[in-house]
This record gives sequence, structure tokens and C-alpha cells, in this order.
Amino acid sequence: MAASGSGGSRADNGYGSQQPRRRRGPGALGTAYLVIYNVVMTAGWLVIAVGLVRAYLAKGSYHSLYYSIEKPLKFFQTGALLEEYLLIAKYLPGIVPSSVVLTAFQVMSRVFLTWAVTHSVKEVQTEDSVLLFVVAWTITEIIRYSFYTFSLLNHLPYLIKWARYTLFIVLYPMGVSGELLTIYAALPFVRQSGLYSISLPNKYNFSFDYYTFLILVMISYIPIFPQLYFHMLHQRRKVLSHTEEHKKSE
Amino acid sequence: VEPNATIREIRLMFHKLYPRWYPARQSIKLDPKGKSLRDEEILQHLPVGTTATLYFKDLGPQIGWTTVFLIEYTGPLFIYFLFYFRMPFVYGLDERFTSSPHPVVNLACICHSFHYIKRLIETVFVHRFSHGTMPLRNIVKNCLYYWGFAAWLAYYINHPLYTPPSYGKKQINFAVIMFLLCEAGNFSIHVALSDLRRNGSKIRKIPYPTKNPFTWLFFFVSCPNYTYEVGTWISFTIMTQCVPVGLFTLLCFIQMTIWAKDKHCTYLREFKDYPSLRMSIIPFLL
Repeated sequence: MAASGSGGSRADNGYGSQQPRRRRGPGALGTAYLVIYNVVMTAGWLVIAVGLVRAYLAKGSYHSLYYSIEKPLKFFQTGALLEEYLLIAKYLPGIVPSSVVLTAFQVMSRVFLTWAVTHSVKEVQTEDSVLLFVVAWTITEIIRYSFYTFSLLNHLPYLIKWARYTLFIVLYPMGVSGELLTIYAALPFVRQSGLYSISLPNKYNFSFDYYTFLILVMISYIPIFPQLYFHMLHQRRKVLSHTEEHKKSE
Repeated sequence: VEPNATIREIRLMFHKLYPRWYPARQSIKLDPKGKSLRDEEILQHLPVGTTATLYFKDLGPQIGWTTVFLIEYTGPLFIYFLFYFRMPFVYGLDERFTSSPHPVVNLACICHSFHYIKRLIETVFVHRFSHGTMPLRNIVKNCLYYWGFAAWLAYYINHPLYTPPSYGKKQINFAVIMFLLCEAGNFSIHVALSDLRRNGSKIRKIPYPTKNPFTWLFFFVSCPNYTYEVGTWISFTIMTQCVPVGLFTLLCFIQMTIWAKDKHCTYLREFKDYPSLRMSIIPFLL
């Protein structure tokens, strides 16, 4: 969990933002809860990863792998909503507001993909694009949660830190591509079935076209994704070069 | 600089040196992290020694509040008309310039227009602003919000497939009466607030109820103008029975509650004898 993992790497409190130094850590009990939470989340995503591998080995092909990990995926991805809520409500200490907004976007888009697209439009569940983003998310989340776990315990192996701030370079575009392709694949089915759409006339004088909404969501990736990506690149430069200095001074 | 110079004079001097930064754009502070100094402050009354160090921060291009309000409120007024008169590009060529068979649609147009005309009149004749300006980029954000929502709700109310309220005339009449009462209330409060600053002073004073019954809400809330404003939009929602209007009302309510709570806290901080019965926006509740 992104808490002010006291001591450890000062430039990084989990979300890689400036940490106000005067803020104290969450205390022993709080840290314990956070460690448990992060361990559980790491384990959860590992379960998903293992499930994927096993299903692949069993079936021999990579179609329909979604079904083998559907439930844990929904559970753990939605769990991230709770995490985000706690961040926003400031029950978690040491977080800078700007990063809350960015991570909120990410969590919202993930939950949206999981429930409002993949779960709702059954026909896309066999698409390869689903696998693409599931794999990307799985690897990212395993690294992220183990990063938080180790940070909290003040024993962060450089490998994990490096992985967190480097692998995203490939995983981010991979995930985004998978997400966009999945939404795109869902479009014709949404149009056909009128899913989540309401049209005039009706008592409440309201209309909503889910098809158009999905297209707008896809378009919104264009301004948002580069910002997130460059933010992470910036963080990477800051964090990894900071560690170099630490090492040199030792 | 003379010891009895005011911050305003310092700002003017600074502006002469740096023409680019006109006074409204300057934020002058004693401490880089502190609050900006007000125009009326006099140099020798500030906690400085024989030489004072002042920090300057550029607030970015500024625009006057009055200008902002005029632009913000004129937009919705005319945008609504585009939909009411059914311009060809809105509902398609077949429906162009037609009019709705429902009287409530005409009523809604009158009410909506009345509301914004009233706001424009208040901006010019009634409001007295404590800060002269706001940052320029706020106007883009604000206009998008006001104009966008006006377009969105006007679209549905004036749509050829609009459905009038379920409870018919009873619902509409009730809504109209509520609307008028709230508009009158809102106006009364604005006048009362502006009377507090009659001679152009910028000192904050506690507003009190006057002989006007609408101002008696001051017994119960710090910001009855916001209370009445929310009431106006609730009545408009009831009148049109339209979800987008309801959503707009909800957002207005959230925004105004934030402003009201802020104001309420400021009052409590500045005045030790502030009436304890008062809540910020909803009597006894919020």
C-alpha cells in the first residue's frame, strides 16, 4: 500500500511523489495492516498469474484464458477501488494530492474495463486483447504490491524498485493497447443490443448512448495516457538516479 | 519607499518598473509560503525591521470578476434560445423553428432566461466583490461548465420528444411558486449582503436578518443566498422533470455547500460572537 514507508527511499513513498518529511509514518499497527494488505494483494495477483499459466499449459492455446481467472481478477481489481477510496479519504498517510488524481484515473479505467466492458459484453471475453491487458495488469500489480510490501518493511531490493520503474515502459503501452482493442471489439455488440442505453421519449427526459460513450472513452485515452506515461518516466529518472547518488555516497 | 506607503502604492511602483505585471497580477508577501498582503496594509504596520523584504509572485493573467460573470451568464441565456427556437443544426432540418405543444416548455424558457437575466443585473448593480480579479484560465473552465450544462439541459427540455411532468399542472404550478419564492429570496440576500459594504469598504461584517422576511433565513444559515439558489434549481427540476437538470442541481448543491462551509468557517474564525444557531447552507443540517 502506498504509505509513507518511513526511512527507506526518501524520494519515493510508493507513488513516487515528493513526501513531506515532517509527516510521520502510520505507526506500528497501521504498518502491520498495510503490510498484510499488500501481501494479500501480491498473493492475489500471483494466483491470477499462476492460473493463467496453468490454463495455458492445460489447454495448449491462449484463447479463453479469461474464464480461468475471471473471478480472482474481478475480486482483486475491484479491491483496488477500496485502496483508492482510502487514499482519497486520506486514511492513508503521506500521499500527495496530484498522484491521487492520476492513480484514480488508472483505477477507474481498470474497473471500467473489468466490469463495464469485459464482464458486460460477453462476446469479447474470448478476444486476445483481453489476454493482453490481463497479462500486463498482472505483472504490473505483482511488482507494485511487492514493492509496497518491501518498502513498508524497509527492505526494498533494488531489483523490485528497478522493475517497478522500468517494466512499465513496455507494460503500460501493452495494457493500454489491450484495453483499447477490447473496447473497440465490444462496440458492434453494444450497438446491436443497446446495452446500458436509454432513448427518448421517456418520463425523465434523459438519454444515454453507451456506444457513443465508449467511443468518447477511447478518445480520452489520447490526452490521458501520454501524461501518465511521461509522469512515470519522470519518476523513473528521479527515483533511479537518486538511488545512484545514495549508493555513491555510501 | 516611504514607511507609510500602502501595499497598493508599492504595487503601482512595481508596475511602473515592470509594465508587464499590472497590480492585480502581483502577489506580494512577507514570506514565500505566506498569504498575499492586502492593498490597504501600510508598510510600517507590518512586522518588518528597518528594511523589509517582500516576495513577489506572478498570479498570471487576471480578469475582473464582473467581466467573468457577464460572460459566464450571457452564454447560457443565448445558448438556451438556440435550443428553444430549435435552430436547424440542433434537432435536424425537419424540426427547425418548430415550437413545442407543451406550455411547460415555454414556461421553462421564461424561468431559465429570467434566472440568468437576474444574475446579470445583479452582477452589474448589486454585487460588491472583495477581490477584484481571478486568474484568466478560470474563465475557460467556468464557461465550459455553465455553457456546457446549459446546452445539455436545454437540449432535453426543448426536444421534440420531451415528456411533460407526470403530475401535470399541479406539479408545474408548485414548481413555479417555489421558483419565484427562491428567486426573490436569493435577490433579497444579495441586496442585504451588498448593503453591508455600502460605502465601498472591504471589511467583512456579520450579515443579520432585516425587515424583509426572506432574509430571516439568516437566523439559520450563514449563506442563505446559496440555499435559495439550490432551491431555485430544485424547483426547475420539478418543473421540467428532467434528469440532466437534476444532475446540474446536484452539482450546484455540492459546489455551493463547499463554498458555504468555507464562508461559514471564515465567519466563525473572524467573529467571536458569531450566532451559534447558524449552519452553513441547510438549517440545522449542513
